[in-house]
Amino acid sequence: MLPDSLLIYIVLAPGLVALSGLVHKWIGDRTVMVLTTAVVLSAGALSLYQLFAYVAGLGGAAAEPSHHAGLDAYLTAGVEAAGTELKQHIITLTPWIHVGDFQANWAIRVDTLSIVMMAVITGVSGLVHLYSWGYMSEDPHKARFFAYLSLFTFMMLMLVVADNFIQLFFGWEGVGLASYLLIGFWYTKKAPNDASIKAFVTNRVGDFGLALGIMAVFFMFRSVEFAPVLDAIRTNAVITPYAFAEALPAQESVIVFFGERVYALELIGILLFIGAMGKSAQFFLHVWLPDAMEGPTPVSALIHAATMVTAGVYLVCLLSPIYEHTFYAAGMVALVGAVTALYAATVGMAQNDIKRVIAYSTCSQLGYMFFAAGIGAYEAAMFHLFTHAFFKALLFLGAGSVIHGMHHEQDMRKMGGLAKFMPLTYAAMLIGTIAIIGLGVPHTLIGFSGFFSKDAILESTFAGAMANVSFAQLAFWFGLVAAFLTSFYSWRLIYMTFHGPAPHAAADDHHHDHAHAHDAHGDHVHDHHHTPHESPAVMLIPLALLSLGAMFAGVYFYDAFVDSQNEAFWAGAIYRSAENHVLHGRHDVPEWVIYAPLIVTIGGFLIATFTYYFNRGIGKRVAESGGPLHALFSNKWYFDEIYNATLVRGAAFLGNVFWRADKKVIDGIGPDGAASVTNLSARLLSRMHSGYLYHYAFVIIGAAITFGAIMWLRAGGAN
Amino acid sequence: MGGFPILTVMTFLPLAGAFLVMLVRSATAGGKGNGGAEAGKTVLLAGVIISAATFAASVAAFATFDRDQAGYQLVEQYAWYGPISFKLGVDGLSLSLVLLTTFLTPICLLASWNSIEKRVTEYVIAFLVLETFMIGVFVSLDLVLFYIFFEAGLIPMFLIVGIWGGKDRVYAAFKFFLYTLIGSLLMLVAMVYMIIAAGSADFEVLEKFTFDPGVQTWLWLAFGASFAVKLPMWPVHTWLPDAHVQAPTAGSVILAGVLLKMGGYGFLRFSLPMFPDASAYFQPAMFALAVIAIVYTSLVAWRQTDMKKLIAYSSVAHMGFVTLGIFSFNETGVQGAIFQMLSHGIIASALFLIVGVVYDRMHTREIASYGGLVNRMPIYASFFMLFTMGNVGLPGTSGFVGELLTMVGGFQAATWAAAGAALGVIFSAVYMLTLYRRTVFGEITNPALAGIKDMNLIEWVCIAPLAALTLLFGFAPNLIFNFTDSSTLRILSMMAGGQ
Repeated sequence: MLPDSLLIYIVLAPGLVALSGLVHKWIGDRTVMVLTTAVVLSAGALSLYQLFAYVAGLGGAAAEPSHHAGLDAYLTAGVEAAGTELKQHIITLTPWIHVGDFQANWAIRVDTLSIVMMAVITGVSGLVHLYSWGYMSEDPHKARFFAYLSLFTFMMLMLVVADNFIQLFFGWEGVGLASYLLIGFWYTKKAPNDASIKAFVTNRVGDFGLALGIMAVFFMFRSVEFAPVLDAIRTNAVITPYAFAEALPAQESVIVFFGERVYALELIGILLFIGAMGKSAQFFLHVWLPDAMEGPTPVSALIHAATMVTAGVYLVCLLSPIYEHTFYAAGMVALVGAVTALYAATVGMAQNDIKRVIAYSTCSQLGYMFFAAGIGAYEAAMFHLFTHAFFKALLFLGAGSVIHGMHHEQDMRKMGGLAKFMPLTYAAMLIGTIAIIGLGVPHTLIGFSGFFSKDAILESTFAGAMANVSFAQLAFWFGLVAAFLTSFYSWRLIYMTFHGPAPHAAADDHHHDHAHAHDAHGDHVHDHHHTPHESPAVMLIPLALLSLGAMFAGVYFYDAFVDSQNEAFWAGAIYRSAENHVLHGRHDVPEWVIYAPLIVTIGGFLIATFTYYFNRGIGKRVAESGGPLHALFSNKWYFDEIYNATLVRGAAFLGNVFWRADKKVIDGIGPDGAASVTNLSARLLSRMHSGYLYHYAFVIIGAAITFGAIMWLRAGGAN
Repeated sequence: MGGFPILTVMTFLPLAGAFLVMLVRSATAGGKGNGGAEAGKTVLLAGVIISAATFAASVAAFATFDRDQAGYQLVEQYAWYGPISFKLGVDGLSLSLVLLTTFLTPICLLASWNSIEKRVTEYVIAFLVLETFMIGVFVSLDLVLFYIFFEAGLIPMFLIVGIWGGKDRVYAAFKFFLYTLIGSLLMLVAMVYMIIAAGSADFEVLEKFTFDPGVQTWLWLAFGASFAVKLPMWPVHTWLPDAHVQAPTAGSVILAGVLLKMGGYGFLRFSLPMFPDASAYFQPAMFALAVIAIVYTSLVAWRQTDMKKLIAYSSVAHMGFVTLGIFSFNETGVQGAIFQMLSHGIIASALFLIVGVVYDRMHTREIASYGGLVNRMPIYASFFMLFTMGNVGLPGTSGFVGELLTMVGGFQAATWAAAGAALGVIFSAVYMLTLYRRTVFGEITNPALAGIKDMNLIEWVCIAPLAALTLLFGFAPNLIFNFTDSSTLRILSMMAGGQ
């Protein structure tokens, strides 16, 4: 297993090399690219080795405990709680904020959750760095791009290895910054600038909840470190909040919030989840994610698919003790997740921009993860997070390859027949599609990654419904319909892009938006012949490696994440209350539940094949007929319009009113009103060169005289 | 007592320097007509050296300061008149603000290198005199002495706005004057009462003296009026945007960096320890004003078309966090408030310098005149981005620590206040990112910008240290907390003792 020095390397080195971007003028773009790519790839190799070694050690650990395997080898601290032993290892780097009870350190926390996340983050990030050598090859700002990518990687790692809420918040906002910078990477264009601000601000709305949640945690537990807080909840220890005389067990404690007495854990759970909704683009706070597609495609793959947007899911799983002991907060997680899964899938069906289809698909898949966590199947949520990282990064990078090959065309209606021009990209996209729709044979270990994780979620959710877990019934049905839609829009994408006639070869349609072409390709793009071409090897190698993950990550890690070895694997990093049996309950669900996902998936495939393969005109005719349902879907349920009309314009209106109030009311009554009274004297005085100096000096002197007089009188009185 | 009077030296060094400059200038004033610009540079350089020496003196004071000891240190006391004495001394709170002052003054003078062309000698003198008065405010341990420094400091500030300011400087100075006058007169009356009642103007005596709760209310209001104007709190904030807009860059830096902090300092030095019951009584009102300040001015900031006005309104919002932290009456909140004052002193100063950089080149503060600066000024854009992130409170910058801790402290006292303040965290992102995007990003559309040059050496020297501090205090805020810890606890114990 990895020694501390290597763990520190994995986390900090990407941050250090990101700084090389600051001096690219002197060391050259290429040096920055080599440094960042080498460091992140090596960190990825180490993290993946760590994960594989850890999983490989599980079997041995079970057979022979003394055999130094699993976390035991180097995880020192153990916490006995509710029957599961939490094994984690904390490297404290240096103190950060120490004020009274408020103690936050810079630290690296190693437990199963962070091992999994580190592997995902550095693994995908390394491949995205590599891929960007090809994708960004003609961009004039390569050093800046690679520095941002490494900065993001560093921030994301800081987020997942935090041992306290404050470092987590640091990473949380830090990835937000990196995301903002990368969405707006092409900063001379309007659309990326708008999108980057929208992303940052929407995330800030979520962070509003997260920050308040952290404040509530500190208020109740007098600590911002995970271990004491979560232990207190697991063991239901008596806690003494700040402004309370009464000390109550953690799970029953109450807090007065806006004058209302509410259960503290419910409030904390809901507030923290609002943060997760922002970061993970859940219903109501999802509006930034589709627009974030204005960023370069490797960014979409890394940040807006595989890693950053899953931070919310990670947070809920990390804080499983909170959600295990709440009713409303956990219910909210399940409900929002289920609604998002379905909502985003409906919108994804009606988009024509290849990246936006995948973006809504991401949104929808994140919904699955959340409702799984909300009903108590945290392991399944994490498993889906893990497999999703591979196939979604694959789909995005595949889409990037298409866009690259199509000379920065993103409209699928202008594509078609690309399979013969880009066979390797086509193969990769097919693998990604089969993985995301979750194709596999029930009761066997035959299937792509999505099959294992998505079915684990749906079956656990049904088990939850059987156990009357709130919103589990709804989540199951929403999830099932969404699975059908997922299959439909995924195949629609494949057919529109890779099959049928090739319009680009016939006519050079220049009406499309060249927004990205200038920056990425320089001005010579207009002289290009527009025949699509296969991407270079440096882009295809990441696709190949991710394809392996999309195919085999599910079957390889199934036992560890959600099946026979899951207790040993998670080692207490995810907590389940004694009553929660949804994960194991999925083995007792009716047979039809096990086959249902496969059936709807095939259904979606058949309909997509019928409408977009055999009868290519149908989809277009539906779109053109302009039915209300299509309008609703293609306009994303009008969220942007509604938010613009209410929130944005409302805030602008208030700002204008307040500004006028400053001028008219406050100044009108205050200085300007007084001014008209003293106008004459003011005018006289303003003739004097330095304005009011003398006026003021007069007051001071007057004051001093008054003072003296009082003192003199007082001294005289004393005599 | 005894020992080297480091505080006196530090306080009056700039004043002595100002005299020196005046003498030398009048001695050489014969040839006033020729070589004005050249001589101006020499005077500015002299000012920079004097203020740098003052900074060195304050660092020396810092070096001899024992941070573990609560109460005032390096005390110097000389009898003056009856209950009044010349008494100086510092604790962690005041010394940290002194350091901020002495650190910013040389930067201000240096930043004026290319932007101040008329009456340079007077300008330098005004700044040096101002520095003495500002330091004096923080090191005074006597009410009368404090009052003199507190009020006298406004004269050079008036001059700076009134002489070297923009075209509406008279209106701005008048507004400034009117607000401050009312606050000061009320404070003066209260001070007279206190000195008579307690028989001494010595802070340490007054801190131990218990005023009747009914009287405390009036005293608190009288002092509070003055501090509220200074901070400034809503609704007595409207002088600040005008003063900032009219002031020259260095004036804005001092205004935002130091003068506003006198309000927060006053609350911590007088209101909490000397009028604890009244402070507790007014807590909800102060929270309400803090939240209004944060939400209201953040929204107003968003609607501004003038860069300086936007940052001025943003200052009001950020000082709202200071109010919130101070009146939470707990360690987290008060430490956060002190930190927020220092952090804002760095970040807001830097933002005014950042505006100054392009103002010196283009002579406009209109946001609409800019756009696409990144294409010509990449280094400028990087610094601007850093301070933008500092102003929106991104973790890793000092702005985060202050905002977070004041909210955490506020949450313990009133959840609604913390929630209201947290809204400001959303709005700050809106107005700062909008500002940045309109000025820095995009294509260059204004032809006048086509030849604009990136930051020069002087601008580097002024701005880079502030950038370094923004990050240093963002990653290692304990440097400050360890230093202000014991004075915070002392203030809180006096507060608790009173109730």
